[in-house]
Amino acid sequence: MKNEEMNEGKMTVIVQTIAALLFPLALIFSFYVIMHGHLTPGGGFQGGAIGASAVVLLIVAYGVKHVEEKMTEGGFSVFESLGGLIFVVVAIFGLFLATSFLANFLVNEPIFGKIPGWGQAPLNSGGILPILNIAVGMKVIGGLSAVVLILALISREGEEK
Amino acid sequence: MKKLAFIAFVVFLFFLFYSAYEMRDFGNPPSNVRETFPDAKYKVTMDDRIIGKYNTTTGEWEYGAVEETGANNVVTSVVFDYRGYDTLGEATVLFTAIAGIMLLFGREKK
Amino acid sequence: MFEMSLFEILIILLSVFMIASAIIAIWFKDLLASVIALAVMSLLLSLYFYILHAPDVAIAEAGVGACLTTAILIITIKATKRMEGDEE
Repeated sequence: MKNEEMNEGKMTVIVQTIAALLFPLALIFSFYVIMHGHLTPGGGFQGGAIGASAVVLLIVAYGVKHVEEKMTEGGFSVFESLGGLIFVVVAIFGLFLATSFLANFLVNEPIFGKIPGWGQAPLNSGGILPILNIAVGMKVIGGLSAVVLILALISREGEEK
Repeated sequence: MKKLAFIAFVVFLFFLFYSAYEMRDFGNPPSNVRETFPDAKYKVTMDDRIIGKYNTTTGEWEYGAVEETGANNVVTSVVFDYRGYDTLGEATVLFTAIAGIMLLFGREKK
Repeated sequence: MFEMSLFEILIILLSVFMIASAIIAIWFKDLLASVIALAVMSLLLSLYFYILHAPDVAIAEAGVGACLTTAILIITIKATKRMEGDEE
């Protein structure tokens, strides 16, 4: 490897190709774990950690400079705040439409509230649980990616000085 | 000082082995569940004691979580439904951490 | 007296390997190798959680412990020094 590429924080072509192949697969697996959080093991936090590790893979393979052009830490922060907002708004809807804060007001309703029988696993069951899963997943993807991106940026700036 | 550390180590080791000796088998309930529900039909596990409902007329355990929340994964129904406030607090901790980091290290937009 | 099931043998083996990799992580002077040993310990811990019937915790441990913590520690090592105890 050339010394200049090493200084830019890039890795070799082999690692870059494998990372580009693995990034969409890891994102799809992350979305699968988040969407099936109420049916199979996993949930918002686990799927969010997998998605954040996909972003970290890009940062490690391509260097911060290249990743920073496509996605910024401000964008991740907005994404994370949006997840928190969805969580709180759905919880407050439970206060008005049902009995209490965070009440599961969609269960037994026609669309989302299907109760699975023995051996069934319908995706539209669980009431508000899938929505809360998606909200927490957005929070964790945005938060952990922003932390790692900011850490890498700080260490780059410290090297340049 | 070294003698004191050695005595502390021995006492700690004694408690560790004692708790390992007293520990029940993996997945078995504490013995007071058997005393409370002596006529349960099958082996009661720890999860049943927390989430299941004990039907006093038939003497069987029923899984209440699936009917109440509509989710197959009981862990998710605990995390997001029965203990939803806990998840909200966790989300608040994450949000506060990110807000602090963005305040400290975030750069101005060009 | 010493009739052990496969479950107990697996648990004892995993515990021994976990303690060994944790000791190795302290013993290395090369901090990069130390971080890799810590990642191995985290992966074995996630396997431990899986055979203890806690797949949720196992997925979280594998994602956070073996990937994100390793990446953060490696970025930190890149910004500071690789070897333990050398003064510049």
